[in-house]
Amino acid sequence: MGVTCVSQMPVAEGKSVQQTVELLTRKLELLGAEKQGTFCVDCETYHTAASTMGSQGQAGKLMYVMHNSEYPLSCFALFENGPCLIADANFDVLMVKLKGFFQNAKANKIETRGTRYQYCDFLVKVGTVTMGPSARGISVEVEYGPCVVASDCWNLLLEFLQSFLGSHNPGAPAVFGNRHDGVYGPADTMAQYMELFNKIRKQQQVVD
Amino acid sequence: MEAPPVTMMPVTGGTINMMEYLLQGSVLDHSLESLIHRLRGLCDNMEPETFLDHEMVFLLKGQQASPFVLRARRSMDKTGAPWHLRYLGQPEMGDKNRHALVRNCVDIATSENLTDFLMEMGFRMDHEFVAKGHLFRKGIMKIMVYKIFRILMPGNTDSTEALSLSYLVELSVVAPAGQDMVSDDMRNFAEQLKPLVHLEKIDPKRLM
Repeated sequence: MGVTCVSQMPVAEGKSVQQTVELLTRKLELLGAEKQGTFCVDCETYHTAASTMGSQGQAGKLMYVMHNSEYPLSCFALFENGPCLIADANFDVLMVKLKGFFQNAKANKIETRGTRYQYCDFLVKVGTVTMGPSARGISVEVEYGPCVVASDCWNLLLEFLQSFLGSHNPGAPAVFGNRHDGVYGPADTMAQYMELFNKIRKQQQVVD
Repeated sequence: MEAPPVTMMPVTGGTINMMEYLLQGSVLDHSLESLIHRLRGLCDNMEPETFLDHEMVFLLKGQQASPFVLRARRSMDKTGAPWHLRYLGQPEMGDKNRHALVRNCVDIATSENLTDFLMEMGFRMDHEFVAKGHLFRKGIMKIMVYKIFRILMPGNTDSTEALSLSYLVELSVVAPAGQDMVSDDMRNFAEQLKPLVHLEKIDPKRLM
């Protein structure tokens, strides 16, 4: 586990999501990146059920339950700007038990799937973000393996990202500034995906 | 969390409906040694294992009559061990053919920010205690002999006081739903512990 940057790649002008993904992956292959199977990150949204809201005084907080194929036995539960719990995969079973208190907003299920590439010390995942049946955007994840301190390798990550993202320039992820000890962990990657998914959900609302 | 070898995969997990079969009893402090001796002889030949755990019981109140209860447990003597989150369903006494109490259970290992996360979900701590004792195994059966300590100052596990002059003895098996024959093995094992301890199917409703 190293330091990871997750960003949204805008769809190339005059191209579809699928065509833009193909352009990106072709570029990676030309660079010499090696294909290493596929990956998937998914996210389910839970509403605090109306029954608990009044008594607890929390107005409709959203909870996200996510999975990442990089950590197949784990489940990540997050609140926006809140803690991220890393748990066994059967945390999902608990959410079923909690359905009287937390309701799964099934229509909000969002995921990204794509190919996993290895290029020297970098792990690159280019995914198509889908919500329901349609493609909504593109996610690009780059992990730099040998380092766990985000501030020490952000410039290197950025330089590598620019080598295949072209003119698109992702900013430093907000989570890089959150760590007290400066050590990056899997929960930070999930927080970045959560932000990206939220951004894409909102964009979709504008278009529709 | 990386995938462990298949043989180390937890038995609980996935979407399988797991049940805990339970028999309970107690011994006075002065009988502890002889019970431990007996258990060492009967159980799997493993290094004697002791534990010192801090358990917090959390409630989530809604408009439903009964609150949702979750138990968060952490080891106080093994640093770095994951936290343990446990859901226990309503206990079923069943009929005479089933020799143990049965309740639905979900066991989840989590990261150490579990209490913060439960608070964020709207749970509030109801009570807490420290459990200190010995753990034995015999096949899939688990035998716990432990003493419960009251915590004198909330949150401070350094000042505790024994709740009684006895040790609680629990024999439990976690198995998929419907495998009632495990309760036969449990009864046979409990027979072998007589007269040191009488393990029984105790209806918690009777104690209220």
